Amino acid sequence: MWKWFYKLASPPFVYDTAAALLPWFAASAAVALGYGLVGGLVFAPPDYQQGDAFRIIYVHVPSAWMSEFSYSLMAVAGAIALIWRIKIGHAVAAATAPIGASFTVLALVTGSMWGRPMWGTYWAWDPRLTSELILLFLYFGVMSLRTAFEEGPRGDRAAALLSIVGVINIPIIHFSVVWWNSLHQAASVAKFGKPTIALSMLWPLLSMFVGFMLFFGAVLCLRLQAEILNRERQSAWVRNAVKS
Amino acid sequence: MNGGFWAMGGYAQYVWPCFALAAVIFAWNVWSARRYHAAARTRAARAVGVADSEGT
Repeated sequence: MWKWFYKLASPPFVYDTAAALLPWFAASAAVALGYGLVGGLVFAPPDYQQGDAFRIIYVHVPSAWMSEFSYSLMAVAGAIALIWRIKIGHAVAAATAPIGASFTVLALVTGSMWGRPMWGTYWAWDPRLTSELILLFLYFGVMSLRTAFEEGPRGDRAAALLSIVGVINIPIIHFSVVWWNSLHQAASVAKFGKPTIALSMLWPLLSMFVGFMLFFGAVLCLRLQAEILNRERQSAWVRNAVKS
Repeated sequence: MNGGFWAMGGYAQYVWPCFALAAVIFAWNVWSARRYHAAARTRAARAVGVADSEGT
């Protein structure tokens, strides 16, 4: 089993798999995002309290979910790299960080834009907003730490450690609206029970989420290929891949 | 599309910038990943060239 696991994580295998998956992810993302955008902007009815301002959720909620998912993936990849010394884990973590950071920026700005008409302010030091801002700083910290060392492997290890320590922020973000008094509304979709959002609004939202996920997958494939090329450029298989 | 759609019930100044920013973030992701990939390929090709010239 371990032999299979190590083969699965071998750089040439991951490089080829990423190259093969990229066009499928990109095409599927375009379809899902197209459906989500049309459904969310055109066909979903205005919210009875928030009016058309609620449509901001079609970019805000998927980007917030992706910011947490990306960070979790980065921490898991870092942990795998540290524990089992599987170096592709560091490449996955390095490729994930900038994408996750960009989604975090999107979540923060769109949340702020939604907050102005709904709360009367662009920003409040609310537990959800503050923990999401800390997530952005964690992303910046992890990316900076990786490049702060002259020796690449030391930077990788330091970044992996920080990402693992910082993962404690993910449940804090998620449950902040339950644990503390928060301006931010509670979850409407990610509940064990029935969602508290109308289906005509929910389907485009789920489609946008799938679209964001697939887009993330496509960009990750491209970045991961680049990371592998950077890290393995002295290898014979890279020589063949570049020449072909 | 009628004017009502673009007006977004009076929330246009909040709704459209969010979707515009999302488009910018998506475009940046694609652009930066492609640029990073192209640079990595160039570096790898250079490394291959150096290795070949050294006869390794």
